[in-house]
Amino acid sequence: MAYSDKVIEHYNNPRNVGSFTKDTPGVGTGLVGAPECGDVMKLQIKVNLDTGVIEDAKFKTFGCGSAIASSSLATEWLKGKTVDQAAEIKNTDIVNELKLPPVKIHCSVLAEDAIKAALSDYKAKWGESAGAGQAAATATTSS
Amino acid sequence: MSQTVNYFEVFGLPRTLGIDAGQLQAKFYELSRRYHPDFQQSAPPAEQERALTLSALVNTAYRTLRDPIARIEYLVRLEEGRDTREGSAVKPAAPPELLEEIFEVQEMLEDAKASGLDDEGRNRLAAERDRLVARCRQEEELLTGALAADWDEASPAGRPRVVAAFKAALATRAYLRTVIDDLEAALDPAGETDVTHHRH
Ligand code: FES
Repeated sequence: MAYSDKVIEHYNNPRNVGSFTKDTPGVGTGLVGAPECGDVMKLQIKVNLDTGVIEDAKFKTFGCGSAIASSSLATEWLKGKTVDQAAEIKNTDIVNELKLPPVKIHCSVLAEDAIKAALSDYKAKWGESAGAGQAAATATTSS
Repeated sequence: MSQTVNYFEVFGLPRTLGIDAGQLQAKFYELSRRYHPDFQQSAPPAEQERALTLSALVNTAYRTLRDPIARIEYLVRLEEGRDTREGSAVKPAAPPELLEEIFEVQEMLEDAKASGLDDEGRNRLAAERDRLVARCRQEEELLTGALAADWDEASPAGRPRVVAAFKAALATRAYLRTVIDDLEAALDPAGETDVTHHRH
């Protein structure tokens, strides 16, 4: 199967490969798999707890070229976004950017799933302490 | 026979999983003969064309239904109205422990490959592989045994629940098989091109 240039580029130079220690403040981890092929992907975000902005993102994917490219691209897109903006990234954005063919759609879905999983893990772990000022203030006054 | 029948209908079977292998084979031979191009030479071109399509359909249908796991995968697609493995509406959620475990094995494999495989490393990988192969077999037995029987006994209302159970077990099997393939490839680099075929 012919990969697009962008897939090959990300595959050869994957951005942000690696991991953060899970319980570092502000880190959210998503570990997901694609039942279609059995590939697995881990994606982590590191959120600045004062601003709610994703400062860094890392991934590790044991999967096909498209899955590696999708997750590499996802980590690039995540950096600098707020948690809410990050939730808007769709697998179709990845498909368009990487020009993935229909049989590789599930690889981009895997990346979207990983983003969602990382965001919800982040919210579960650090959601209370995030959003800074207002959220913290309401929490104290209402208690 | 119409060209749009499903694989079960090709053989005149109900949508059940308990299929007698001998009967299936006999029916396959019969249909293969019926649509074989050699027996169609005097037929009009449109008829020949149709026979060709049907003979291809019979072949694929047989290959799919003959294999008890492929049979289940096909049944799930049929129940969900999909043509390919892409586009499953509801993704089965993998048990998180399974993904964690598979991720760990993959990382161990990665480290082992990076540091060069010595005998001890090979033995560890082989032991992992054997353990995972046994797990995979269990999952297959569950699919073709208890779950297949559940399907055949289920009332129409009970069927979606069995489909969900099939999907969960098929997903578990897919995760296991991929990591097993990767272990195999590391242990036997010569066979690599064979076993990594699932990644294009
Ligand atoms: S082939 Fe499965 S993630 Fe790409």
